[in-house]
Amino acid sequence: MDRILRQKRYIFIFVGPALLLYVVFGLIPIIYNTYISLYKTNLLGKKVFVGFQNYINLFNDQFFTKAITNNLKFVLGSYIAHMVIAMLISYILFQKIKGAKLFQSIYFMPSVICGTAIGMLWSFIYHPNFGLVNSFLNAIGLEKYTRIWLANEHTVLPSLIVISMWQFVGYHIVIQLAGMKNIDGTLFEAAAIDGASKWQQFIKIIFPLMKKILMIDSVLIITGSLKLYDLVAVTTSGGPNHASEVMSTYMYYQGFRALKFGYSSAIGMILLLLCAGATLIIRLAFYTKDE
Amino acid sequence: MRNEKKKTIIKNATIYFLLIMFLVVCMFPLLWLILNSFKTQEDLFTNTWGLPKSWTLNNYVNAVIEGNIGNYFINSLLISVVSVSITIFLSTMTSYGITRLKWKLSGIVLSLFLMGMMIPTYGSIIPLYSIFNMTHILGKYIAVIIPNVTFAIPMSIFIMTGFFSTLPRELEEAAIIDGCSLLKAFWKVIMPLVKPGIITIAVISFINAWNDLLFPQIFLSDQNKMTLPVGLMAFKGMYATDYVGMIAAIVITVIPVIVIYSLLHQRIIGGLVSGAVKG
Repeated sequence: MDRILRQKRYIFIFVGPALLLYVVFGLIPIIYNTYISLYKTNLLGKKVFVGFQNYINLFNDQFFTKAITNNLKFVLGSYIAHMVIAMLISYILFQKIKGAKLFQSIYFMPSVICGTAIGMLWSFIYHPNFGLVNSFLNAIGLEKYTRIWLANEHTVLPSLIVISMWQFVGYHIVIQLAGMKNIDGTLFEAAAIDGASKWQQFIKIIFPLMKKILMIDSVLIITGSLKLYDLVAVTTSGGPNHASEVMSTYMYYQGFRALKFGYSSAIGMILLLLCAGATLIIRLAFYTKDE
Repeated sequence: MRNEKKKTIIKNATIYFLLIMFLVVCMFPLLWLILNSFKTQEDLFTNTWGLPKSWTLNNYVNAVIEGNIGNYFINSLLISVVSVSITIFLSTMTSYGITRLKWKLSGIVLSLFLMGMMIPTYGSIIPLYSIFNMTHILGKYIAVIIPNVTFAIPMSIFIMTGFFSTLPRELEEAAIIDGCSLLKAFWKVIMPLVKPGIITIAVISFINAWNDLLFPQIFLSDQNKMTLPVGLMAFKGMYATDYVGMIAAIVITVIPVIVIYSLLHQRIIGGLVSGAVKG
């Protein structure tokens, strides 16, 4: 039997095709992207080697720095929503609530729905004429606060952040709940016998023992907010006047609209490095505290 | 004692009130969307919050006939189903090869694949565009199917290797002693046993392929080949004021995933959470 399982040809048959596909279309493109990002090219005509000039230009490009800032605001908004709200709801669900499974499944649902559809749905909710937000404000007598939410430079970003909070909060509820369920239940019994209140249990038992899940969730929230695309592309495509520009939409614009592919692939590189860097930093931050 | 009881009732009531309020926040936009898809345009403007005054299917008819949504639907279905089938085929084979075959590099190859769960697609889009352009497959369905499969494989392998490593080794041994070849033993004996894993990776990769905007937007240029998310954007561009038609088109886009989710939510949640927690 072992002899059969050692045969080289089986390794090629079973693993070969997927590995080939993954290397050719998954890994090599990243190397190729690094190369393109050092050139000025429209992919058709001749390309000119410019070294790190694309990267230098990016950091002097006010729209790109605006895009990064906006991504960071998404990170912040999502972090608040997903750490505070998700933690509260998942802690409630953790208290052996009847129907917890059902609540959890329903909360999770928006996160599996197409981001493009969600963006369009919410552009109706924010619609100046018939949208829910403005009609609600009118109904309670706050007409003066009605806005053209997604076309106003000051309100567009917070409005979009709310959508992304709404879409993914359930996902993080489920992840954090899974983390709480992993904690040894006898700890709570012991704590209850010792007279610890729910709040003390939360602070002294759940929070420290959830560190690993919180680390993972932090990585998910941050990389998710850095990679965000569909929602912005469909609602505002970065407008008005770049007020809601994010790195992915700017990358799309520079590549497939302005045809500056070298410049665009440099944005792709920065996005990739930011995601990898954020992951590394979070892991290190949690690791040192963990001993 | 009675006071104590009263306190727990109040506490429970508050908790359920909170949970249900949150449920309303999560569900109301979707419900509003579905209700409005049956309204006329005036009804939408004058009666935003209420039930439709008279229910109409016209919006769906318009979305399909004028907005070409039926065509986009078929494209989405085709691309998703083919992507999922190839993903299942490749990732079950590979996961078996990694967990059961005996070779030195299996651990390294597995970590190479799992690394892919963390790589954002943006670092590969322009090179892929250039490669597809040079090989003349840009604009064909395959130009979306290839990246769909490539980026679905890491998580699928992560989930499937978990399933394969729980199976006892005697299974294929018995089949091989009976005269089966290893490939036949894999298809006839092993595959049926990992069906739950296959269903999980199938639904997750289907949902991802179905929902994706970026790949079809970049790699398909032909209106007739577009998928639903890109089609929705085209609809928005062309019939910017046909709000109810657009709402019906959105419903058509999200309904398949809502149905699949209602049937298989435990598997989807389980798979996505375990994948996320690993990645």
